Amino acid sequence: MTRGNGWVGTILRVNLTDGTIIKEPLNMQDAKDYVGARGLGTKYYCNEVDPKVDPLAPENKLIFMTGPLTGTAACSSGRYEVVSKSPLTGIIGAANSGGHFGPELKYAGYDGIIFEGKAAEPVYLHIDDDLVELLPADELWGKGVHEVTDALVEKYGKVRVSCIGTPGERGMLYAGVMNDKNRAAGRGGMGAVMGSKNLKAVVVRGTGSVLVARPKEFMEEAIKARDMLRAHPVTGAGLAGFGTEILVNIVNEVGGLPLRNARDGAFWDKADDTSGERLVETHLIKNQGCFGCTIACGRVTKVEGKGDFDCFGEGPEYEAGWSYGAACGVNDISAIVKANCICNEQGMDPITLGSTVACAMELYEMGAIPESDIGFPLRFGDAAAMVKLTQMCADGEGFGNIIGLGSYRLAEKYGHPELSMSTKKQEMPAYDGRAIQGIGLEYATSNRGGCHVRGYMISPEVLGIPMKLDPQVAEGKGAVLKLFQDLTALCDSTGICLFTTFGIGLPEIAGQYREAVGSDETDEEILLKGERIWNLEKRFNIEAGVEKDTLPPRLLREALPSGPAKGKVSQLQTMLAEYYAERNWTAEGIPTQEKLDELSITY
Amino acid sequence: MAKQLVVDPKKCISCRTCELVCSFRHFEEFNPRLANVSVFHYEEAAITVPIMCLQCDEAACVGICPTGALKRQADGVVTHDANRCIVCKMCVNACPLGNISYSPAKRLIHKCDLCDGEAWCAQQCPTGAISLVDPDEVPDKKQLAADKLKAAVEEVCA
Amino acid sequence: MLVKFFATYRQIAQCKSCDVPAPRDVLALMGELSKRWPAFQNLLLNEDGTDKGDDVIIMVNGRHIEHLDGMATPLTEDDYVAITPVVAGG
Repeated sequence: MTRGNGWVGTILRVNLTDGTIIKEPLNMQDAKDYVGARGLGTKYYCNEVDPKVDPLAPENKLIFMTGPLTGTAACSSGRYEVVSKSPLTGIIGAANSGGHFGPELKYAGYDGIIFEGKAAEPVYLHIDDDLVELLPADELWGKGVHEVTDALVEKYGKVRVSCIGTPGERGMLYAGVMNDKNRAAGRGGMGAVMGSKNLKAVVVRGTGSVLVARPKEFMEEAIKARDMLRAHPVTGAGLAGFGTEILVNIVNEVGGLPLRNARDGAFWDKADDTSGERLVETHLIKNQGCFGCTIACGRVTKVEGKGDFDCFGEGPEYEAGWSYGAACGVNDISAIVKANCICNEQGMDPITLGSTVACAMELYEMGAIPESDIGFPLRFGDAAAMVKLTQMCADGEGFGNIIGLGSYRLAEKYGHPELSMSTKKQEMPAYDGRAIQGIGLEYATSNRGGCHVRGYMISPEVLGIPMKLDPQVAEGKGAVLKLFQDLTALCDSTGICLFTTFGIGLPEIAGQYREAVGSDETDEEILLKGERIWNLEKRFNIEAGVEKDTLPPRLLREALPSGPAKGKVSQLQTMLAEYYAERNWTAEGIPTQEKLDELSITY
Repeated sequence: MAKQLVVDPKKCISCRTCELVCSFRHFEEFNPRLANVSVFHYEEAAITVPIMCLQCDEAACVGICPTGALKRQADGVVTHDANRCIVCKMCVNACPLGNISYSPAKRLIHKCDLCDGEAWCAQQCPTGAISLVDPDEVPDKKQLAADKLKAAVEEVCA
Repeated sequence: MLVKFFATYRQIAQCKSCDVPAPRDVLALMGELSKRWPAFQNLLLNEDGTDKGDDVIIMVNGRHIEHLDGMATPLTEDDYVAITPVVAGG
């Protein structure tokens, strides 16, 4: 029995095709080498699935994986990862989510779930400690995330629910997996994979315990980390007070807030209308935390008296505040809250959705998309059209289905693939790679396509955490990004939230990990697991046929027209060379055999 | 004087840290079902309430316990002695607030003992939604009302 | 010159921005602001008033002062300054 080292020791293997459910022991060697959650989920996935698999075919698998710290008193320990091949990008898709679902799964006695095959009819998985059963989901199919969650809570009582909305059922390419209603394993279309398997929901009740290897030492580490987070101005006050959207004004101030599909630069005189400060004044009810979290960045928000924009839910986060704000040129905060709310209610990635609407707006304004295709005018700044299109996308109605393809396929369809603000077909988030050089390098090299949470360079380049780097300088970014990517892979894989890294670092993450699993490895040896995870993901992507690391031509060739970074383009090639050298990869960005051997990767 | 747990739902962020540290303190395990404090979230009201035993002066659990396992200590805390307990669960039924729990997994009764005065739930609460106070020393609601009245009077006089 | 406030600093200044005569450098400006709003005293400047506080981000014309001349960065009427407590998002 492996209880007593952060793990509960069992993986559920659910074959949806024939309905068999097997409880198998956790692969402890892989757990040791790949930490948990993102790393371990990816390792299981790579062990079992052909990289060339069609993401929406029954041969693909979908993995829910917790980490060794999930459900413990480690700081912000409510995380789990959903892993599969992404239908949006065609490379590895690993999406991380908080809330309370991950811990509950462990309390039920399972470290993770591997879904295989495809059910003949819609089903959901019901877990009540030892009882695990597949049940018909006819009555849940066709319903939104909130409705499904309410129905299952009504039926089972004290349970936690992870599910998809109707876009996921339809295989919409960036449908997310949603848990606890508004928490999202949001990016890369994990919800579409779930829907392709006819799996509507996972409902879990767990009454067991999670034990750690060295309880007293573990608690000391956990309390130390918690105290540091409470004392730090970002994690102790800023995120609770203003949420992530507090960044709008600051990123705009450095001239890095991409405006109107990045067509009009990255500096906006209306940014403040969409800021975290503005959200607090207008729609915030209270802040809320995920399981075990001292930070509590979540926003409970409500829009009232605004007609079609009325809603109640959570968010938006900075990213959605931008994708529905600056990216679409919309400065109506109520419309932004509403569009984000639709994304939560139906399980869609608001970064990709807002960016795709922005791309469609540019194509419309230049005459590339005829109005007859959309059904109404779609100009930048049109809040009502933006919200309407988001709802159409959720409902699978008309042009909403084209929006559901993501900006790359949309722009390609209308003859301008260069106008998709994406890398590897996934939309880049809310920072301009021309004004902030290092984040551009992150977008180009991220193992899941355009993404900020694989190596959050905004922290050193804009905020000065843990050190201050000049955002307009390319030199030196490759080395820092490598470190951030490896540390992030480690953090994601332990089961704690990436946001803790604003207030704690490797010693605290490694410290909690070590005492939980009972390891005597050094900080450096533990960080190496992060590098191993990064290289494994990269290996998979190469086998899957990943495109090369690059940025949209707009970022490489169109100089910023205004703002503090006026005249800048991304110096990607300079940074890439340094980055590949730091990683000990070839000049083409391929991991060398020497590096793979050093990391003991046999994939 | 015995200290008392005080709950302020306005400050609660529903993180359930209290549940985690409570189960650890008493069982060295992480398991909200073994915690003596439970967090209830009311989604539509956007309010979360942590609830636990507040050590009743007239404790029904002590009154009904047939073996003397539940006993009031000198500091006012009602403690539970597992060695004397026959797990009859009468206390679970008698407590009008549901603050004594039976664990089917462990086959035992558990309740809040204020962690021998350390009250880990209060210590580790990130927002101060749970606090352990000396009822005579900390400003109570009456004091806060008085403060407001004083400020109003000052304004009028000025 | 224009001074912009973000996050909790707006609550202290009770405005989003204000116009002030440009002092010679950033250090002097932080001194002026601390005089005008005493709550800024130990936030914008360190205890002896010789350097910036630990948790403040100061930008001149959108550039972090670290990449300019720090607290000695000179100011003119045409410059604009933004100050914010250190925050983060994602």
